[in-house]
Amino acid sequence: MNQSFNPELDLTITRVINAPRSLVWRAWSDPASFAQWWVPAPAQCKVVAMELKPGGAFVTQISENGGEFTPHLNGCFLAVDEGERIVFTTCLLGGWRPAEEPFITASITFADHPLGTEYVAHVMHKSQGDRNNHETWGFFDGWGTVIEQLAKLVEQGAE
Amino acid sequence: MDHYSNQLNHIFQALADPTRRAVLGELGRGAASVGDLAKPFDMALPSFMKHIHYLETCGLIRTHKEGRVRICTIEKQAFGVVESWLATQRALWEARTDRLEQFVMAEQNKETAV
Repeated sequence: MNQSFNPELDLTITRVINAPRSLVWRAWSDPASFAQWWVPAPAQCKVVAMELKPGGAFVTQISENGGEFTPHLNGCFLAVDEGERIVFTTCLLGGWRPAEEPFITASITFADHPLGTEYVAHVMHKSQGDRNNHETWGFFDGWGTVIEQLAKLVEQGAE
Repeated sequence: MDHYSNQLNHIFQALADPTRRAVLGELGRGAASVGDLAKPFDMALPSFMKHIHYLETCGLIRTHKEGRVRICTIEKQAFGVVESWLATQRALWEARTDRLEQFVMAEQNKETAV
């Protein structure tokens, strides 16, 4: 499927990783591996559900500074081509149920490259109207609240 | 990666650390000396200074000397960068991809070592 690119709402990250495609695929598709890199330390990630099939639930939680785990990502997979592609969205939950807080659809592709693997993450966002919505900041690897609190403090303190 | 997302990545890296976040939170209430900022932390001063330098390098704070005391102030402008919505999302995915790459490289080294 061709994806059109909207520069105001989309971003694409392309990276050549100097390792075989099977290894990059495993880092993404094995929940224990995925949890080790998805969120930045010292925050911790827990993979609650990763059903790698269309309609399968994709749910992660985050814990900051050793606190309790709180919702991070809640969505479902739209397409899974073994070793090649993972498409997921937060606009639908597991079993295709419409989500309360739709935000992104992301297409992750893994392709052979002379130096290893070409990894491409294409991320489409709902709309910029969401940018002040707290829920979208929840996807922010746990930093959204921090940034928000800081911004408030700065506004109060630095007039 | 352009300069802009580079700066964002540094800012996120700065915010990822609880000590640096606490310092920023404190400075949000107003300027403070390094000595006062260091008090709540059970940390040697040189280690604490590294955090201060980090924050200064990525532009989140400024410091200046008043006599023998170094005063820190928060740099409000730096937070404006974070408010740019799509740039922030891009920095997030760049950082995520960095971590994936590091993880995969470490895994590969483990396998070749066996």
